[in-house]
Amino acid sequence: MIKTYFKIAIRSLWKNRTFTILNIIGLTAAFGVAILLAMFAVYELSYDRFHEHGNNLYMVYSEDSSPNGIEANISKSEPFAAALQDEVSGVEKITRYSGSGVLLSYQDKQLGMSSAYVDPDFFEMFRFPIIKGDKENPITSESSVVITELAAKRIFGDENAIGQTVTILRDEEEVPFTVTAIVEDFPATSSIGFDVILNFKSQGYHAYERAVGRWDVENHEVYMKLSKEIKPAQFESSTKDFTQLHYKNEIDNAKRDGAQPNNGVYRQIKLLPFADIRFANFNQGSVTVSRTMPYLVLGIAILILFIACVNFINMSIAKSDQRLREIGMRKTLGANKKQLFFQFWGESILVFIISTGLGILTAILLLPHFQVLFSTRASFNTFLNPSLIVTLICSVIAITLIAGGYPAVLMSRLGTLQSLKGKLDNSGKNYLRNSLMVLQFSIAILLISGTLVLKDQVEFMRTKDLGFNKDQVIAFPLNGRRNDQQTMQLLRDALQDKPNILSVTASNNILGLGKDGSRSTSVIGFDYNGRGVETHMLVVDSDYIETLDLNLVEGRSFKKNLASDSLSVIINESMAKQLNEEEILNSKINIDDKLFSIVGIIEDFNFQELDRNIAPMSLFALPNWNLRNVYVKVAPQNLEESFISVKEAWATVEPNAEFQGSFLNENIDRTLRNERNMITMIGSGSILAITLSCIGLFAMSLLIVAKRRKEIGVRKIVGASVSAITVLLTKDFLKLVGIAFLIATPVAWWLMSKWLQNYAYRIDLNIWIFLGAGIIAVLIAMLTIAVKTIKAATSNPVKSLRTE
Amino acid sequence: MVNTILKLSQATREVNSGSNKIALLDSINMEVKEGEFISLMGPSGSGKSTLLNCIGMLDNFTDGGYTFLGEPVHSMKERNRSKLYKEYIGFVFQAYHLIDELNVWENIETPLLYKNIKSSERKALVADMLDRFNIVGKKDLFPAQLSGGQQQLVGIARALIGKPKLILADEPTGNLNSKQSTEIMELFLELNKQGVTIIQATHSETNASYGSRIINLLDGKIVSE
Repeated sequence: MIKTYFKIAIRSLWKNRTFTILNIIGLTAAFGVAILLAMFAVYELSYDRFHEHGNNLYMVYSEDSSPNGIEANISKSEPFAAALQDEVSGVEKITRYSGSGVLLSYQDKQLGMSSAYVDPDFFEMFRFPIIKGDKENPITSESSVVITELAAKRIFGDENAIGQTVTILRDEEEVPFTVTAIVEDFPATSSIGFDVILNFKSQGYHAYERAVGRWDVENHEVYMKLSKEIKPAQFESSTKDFTQLHYKNEIDNAKRDGAQPNNGVYRQIKLLPFADIRFANFNQGSVTVSRTMPYLVLGIAILILFIACVNFINMSIAKSDQRLREIGMRKTLGANKKQLFFQFWGESILVFIISTGLGILTAILLLPHFQVLFSTRASFNTFLNPSLIVTLICSVIAITLIAGGYPAVLMSRLGTLQSLKGKLDNSGKNYLRNSLMVLQFSIAILLISGTLVLKDQVEFMRTKDLGFNKDQVIAFPLNGRRNDQQTMQLLRDALQDKPNILSVTASNNILGLGKDGSRSTSVIGFDYNGRGVETHMLVVDSDYIETLDLNLVEGRSFKKNLASDSLSVIINESMAKQLNEEEILNSKINIDDKLFSIVGIIEDFNFQELDRNIAPMSLFALPNWNLRNVYVKVAPQNLEESFISVKEAWATVEPNAEFQGSFLNENIDRTLRNERNMITMIGSGSILAITLSCIGLFAMSLLIVAKRRKEIGVRKIVGASVSAITVLLTKDFLKLVGIAFLIATPVAWWLMSKWLQNYAYRIDLNIWIFLGAGIIAVLIAMLTIAVKTIKAATSNPVKSLRTE
Repeated sequence: MVNTILKLSQATREVNSGSNKIALLDSINMEVKEGEFISLMGPSGSGKSTLLNCIGMLDNFTDGGYTFLGEPVHSMKERNRSKLYKEYIGFVFQAYHLIDELNVWENIETPLLYKNIKSSERKALVADMLDRFNIVGKKDLFPAQLSGGQQQLVGIARALIGKPKLILADEPTGNLNSKQSTEIMELFLELNKQGVTIIQATHSETNASYGSRIINLLDGKIVSE
């Protein structure tokens, strides 16, 4: 019996090979892409899920009320962690965490590595298992270092690492550390990343010693493991006394400056579940956790599968007309509903098995490109998890059951006589078919307009005048051994007589996102005329304003002889507005008991990403400060050549340090990576969606034309023109696309305007974007049906009538 | 004593056409004995096909009684009814209704599949049937490769493979030329002699004359026997 079913399935699929192939192509593409997208989504969602105690791990942060509203503050002070553990019950384990880049040397090797400075509890909280060396107290000593397997390989090759001594550059001094343990390489889905782990106390003077015992220097994060018996909300509310005790000053200041209390308090300690960190936004008011991106991707995968399945259902139902006689005959010969259902469903399963197989193959072939395109490390390993595999198999079976089962149910239910006669009352089914097609095109139009809006917004952000020169300035990190001032002097000398180099400067911050991917912000607060004022702090080298072409509105720039300006400050317009002083140039600000006089005001420039408004900013010319990045302005001609000469100059100054330079516009582009990923994702989703919808439309037009052959013939004989017939055949389909447009546009508009709310600088939505999407859909749909309908309209009517 | 295969009493089949009820079959009374060869005659629309379909349980009478082999079909459930006709009735159609995707062998085999007969037994039965109809050489051909007469031959073979007691043939020669018609009718006669009860619907006087009894229908009523 099964053999016969199989045989007849193969034969009937072969007989309808056009449709079989259209179905297999559509489903293969859909399965392939859906697998990749699902992989990406699952990968993202599995971030930080590998810690055994994950459910009890939290990041400690606070919500501070300020005159500008609520601010989430994840930086904590040196005594904070220990005090919290002592004074508030429920803290089972706690660690401070500070990550930074270090320069590590072993023999004649020099390696840039990322380090994590933590407290010993760290290893008992997180799952970073030690596979070799001291499992008990790996970093209790301040001269111990724990390295990952990968780092061990990089530093020592095949040598034994345990017990070896490496040196790490700290405060311009080579400090020796002994390797005490090696930890297993951790999954890529970890938001905590490091090559080496050191004791928190092993940090440099500025990061640790200076901060010891001080509650006002906040420079690291704190993670804790909460006791199982205590709920996070419970814990949060039990920290009230702790906050009152240690943050009295801050709370008083907030009250004085007119901040509004949040739920009655000015400062609240909060816990953020560890697995939420990757999806949390700390930039806008209170912390929001949003997994929109992975779910959006998963959503696109589902929509694409849906479109392909709709095609399959529509084609199966439409094709069932041609099998009516077979159905009737089988019933006459004694087949019951169940047998017929399994026969037709079996045919569907065959198509689905082939498509799934080909889809997996497609996914395997596309995986490398996919990984590059979305800079993700998601791979098939992501799916290696029993419950996930079961879910996947179940969903494939469910899809097969619905998409293949529905037409099979319809067919097996037909009356014997009715089907033997080959006639079917199909008004109701057209209704279903039409709704499904409208849905398909709505999805396609939604995705197309989404892509267009996203593209516009990214283009807007990329080309927006940010207030500084981003085309001619090369930036790179100062990642060498020497002290920064010394390096700058050497670099200036090396670049002095190069013709295309216009000016050189440095600052302790980067604009955009550099090649090394590191970023920092420092914000300081001080009292000004009896109220609290906050400003971003930027320490610059000479020529900063000139190199970046910042616009000086009032006053002067820093002098060439920077030392004489060490007590001067230049502020931006937002800062000036905040200070609200009539004679601003004569004002002085008092920070840490030093009086800085304001010598100049520069126009606001976007030193942060475009999802934020420009914050108050002050430029300082502090001597011997840690400058992190070099900026070199070059002539507009021969950019390539200039880049190479900067690179060469750096090689002579710091031969062992890697040159990680890039133009600022590339840096800006880098900050738009998420948006670009989203464009590629939604864009390719929309292309696939419209293609699949059109495959469905094409198949439908084939069937409709075949069905109306006689009608077309008769109409031609009574005098209808080719164009009249084309219009007749096309208009029903275009009507569907039109309805789809009407449904999709408001939804798209609403979604996109919500998304744009995330950006302080954004484009205005206008109807043309959506009309554009609609027109694209209509044009593609028209082209798809045109081929078949025009052919039908021009064919000789005598032929079509004779075959009846 | 000859057994009665089926008996109709006051059997009526009505359909709704708009607000009117039209009787396709009106109070039919008839009895068919085993071994009979009945020809139903009458003009188009007189109810021949409807009567055959109702007897074959593809369609139902809306009123009146229908007894098949002593069992009351009119009060049976769908499931039992299909069991009944699967077991005892074979159909032959004017348009043959062979399954295009199956070859001759497989077409003949299909009813056996639905009766859950074992593979070896099926092979023997189909081979016998092919032999009996002299179409062994055509067993691998598909319906499209056969002439109309040959297709109908396969259709009859398929109807017979389940060893039915009753064959219902609706215009079995309607699509055939006279030579093929004669062959098919001779075959029916032969089968009838072997004990198969046959009811055929036909337009042709010649074909009707093969039967042992002729029933004339007009507007859903039996006008003469």
